[in-house]
This record gives sequence, structure tokens and C-alpha cells, in this order.
Amino acid sequence: MIIHSLQEDTTSLGESSPYDSVWSGTEVPVQQREGLEKVMLQEDKLYVVLAVVLIIWMGIIFLLFRTDRKIDRLERNMTERISEKSSRS
Amino acid sequence: MNVFAGKDGVRPSTYRIIRNVVVVWLTLVILSGFLLSIPRIAILEHTARNLYFHVPMWFTMMAAFIVSAYHSLRHLQSGDLRRDVRALQAARVGALFGILGLITGIVWARFTWYVGTNVWWNFDPKQTLAAVQLLIYGAYFTLRSAIDDSEKRARIAAVYNLFAVVTVPFLLYVLPRQMESLHPGAEGNPAFSEITHPVMRLVFYPAVIGFIGLFWVLYTQRVRMAQMVLRSNEMEEAEL
Repeated sequence: MIIHSLQEDTTSLGESSPYDSVWSGTEVPVQQREGLEKVMLQEDKLYVVLAVVLIIWMGIIFLLFRTDRKIDRLERNMTERISEKSSRS
Repeated sequence: MNVFAGKDGVRPSTYRIIRNVVVVWLTLVILSGFLLSIPRIAILEHTARNLYFHVPMWFTMMAAFIVSAYHSLRHLQSGDLRRDVRALQAARVGALFGILGLITGIVWARFTWYVGTNVWWNFDPKQTLAAVQLLIYGAYFTLRSAIDDSEKRARIAAVYNLFAVVTVPFLLYVLPRQMESLHPGAEGNPAFSEITHPVMRLVFYPAVIGFIGLFWVLYTQRVRMAQMVLRSNEMEEAEL
């Protein structure tokens, strides 16, 4: 099977399409993107998705570490209780 | 001294090292999954990157079910309830990954196979049999909840679990390849088709390893908690 390359995206500069964020028929700003936008808007804004996924992943990691701390504490408490009991009997 | 540390399980310091490696590893997988440029092909386009996330869900589920079956087998050999705890927790985390695999597959199919048709689910053999697979493990949890005596429950569930794991290769590999499916790997094709660019393997294999590592971390957490519950139940019984 042949790997097709997609057509060059011609709608991003100079003209707008019906689903563009700019009203069709109006002048689209064509000035050079600067700073963060210059990076984040590349590749059809794929990097924005990356940022979102990374934020979610960081939240999951936070929960993972917190749960570990909680389990450690519970294990320590239980160990104390068990050793108290065995020293009493 | 911690009575749980290292006892029938991994040492806490080893656990922490592996957990931290898994966290960094998966972060790198996510980064490279998005940043590595791949050839853009019709229909798939950027969704080809789902290979790095959707497919490892199933590999992880299978690994989890094998771990679960192993501990069920060891339970039948030894009668040790801690083996039953491990079998249950591995099956639970495995089922979680399976559910995530099924849902991500539905979303992916909707915007590739079924684009323009407004169809989310069309009983594609691969998807249907994967759903059946999850129901088989759903029955494992239901079976467990139906038996009150913990030793009887552990034994019956372990036998069922051994039958359940045998169905995995048939439902996920053998049968879908005999049928017409839109999913890669149907009709005797390899799952990695000729349109899967070799560069994607660079991220795909580490992703599989990383998600299996994540399974291991979640599974170990749950085993530690379940063993504390088991221990406190034993202590209560000893007091009575």
C-alpha cells in the first residue's frame, strides 16, 4: 500500500474556511506568530494536546505518590499495633 | 521494623525505584509519542499515534491476566490466601486496562472506520470478542462476590480464573483472525500491517513495557492494601 501525503494545508494563512476561527470573508491576520504560540500552533496544534495529556499524567502521578505515602503510613501503624500486642501477650 | 516490608512481596525501596523509573519512562513515552514525526497516511492521519496508547492497553491486560492466573495456580497448590489476594488484584487492574482498551478502541474506530456514518459500535469481531473477554472476567468478580467463605471463594475463583485465562488467546487472536474485521490482524494479517512505519516501533515497544510497568505499580499498591485488610481480619478473628 502506498503512503499518501496529505495536501498542503493552504487555509491557515491568508484565507479562511467555514470552520475556521475567523469569520469567512474577513481578513485573516497574517502577522508572524511569536513566542509560545510559534511553537504550540505547529503540527495542527498537536502540541496543545501534548500539554493537556501531560497535565493529566502529572495529576495521576501525584495521586500515585500520595497513595504510596498513605500505604506506608498504614503499614507502619499496623506494625506498631502488632508488636504492641505481641509484647503484651 | 515493618512487618509487611519484603514479606511475600517486593522490598519498599525496590518498589520505589521501579515506580520512579516507570513514571519517568512513561513520561518519555508520552513526549516521544507526540513529538516523533510520523508519515501521514489517509484516514489515520495523526490518530496513528493511538498505536502507542491503545494497543499497550491490551498487552497490559493480557500480562495482568497471566499474572493473575499464575497466582491462582499457586493458590491451588498451597491454599495460601495471600496468593488469592494477588490473583484478584491482578485481575482487577487487568480489567481496568481492558476497559480502557475497549473505550479507546471505540473512540478511535468512530473517527477512522466509521467516519461519516455516525456509528460508534458495529459489532466488529475484534471489538465484540474483546468485550466478551471482559465479560468473562466480569463473571470472575461476580463469582467471588457470591461466595462468603473466604477459603471456598479463593479455591473456586482460582479454578474459574484458570479457565478464563485459556480463553484469552482464542478470543483476542485466533477467532478475530478467522473473521472479516476492520481491525488490523484480521483475516490472517499481521497486526503490524505494511502501512505501520518502522519508526513507530521505537515508541510502541517502550510504551508496552511502560504500561506493563504501570500495571505492576498499581497492582503492588493494591496488593499491599489488600494484605493489610487480610491481616487485620486475621487479628480480629484471633481476638474473638
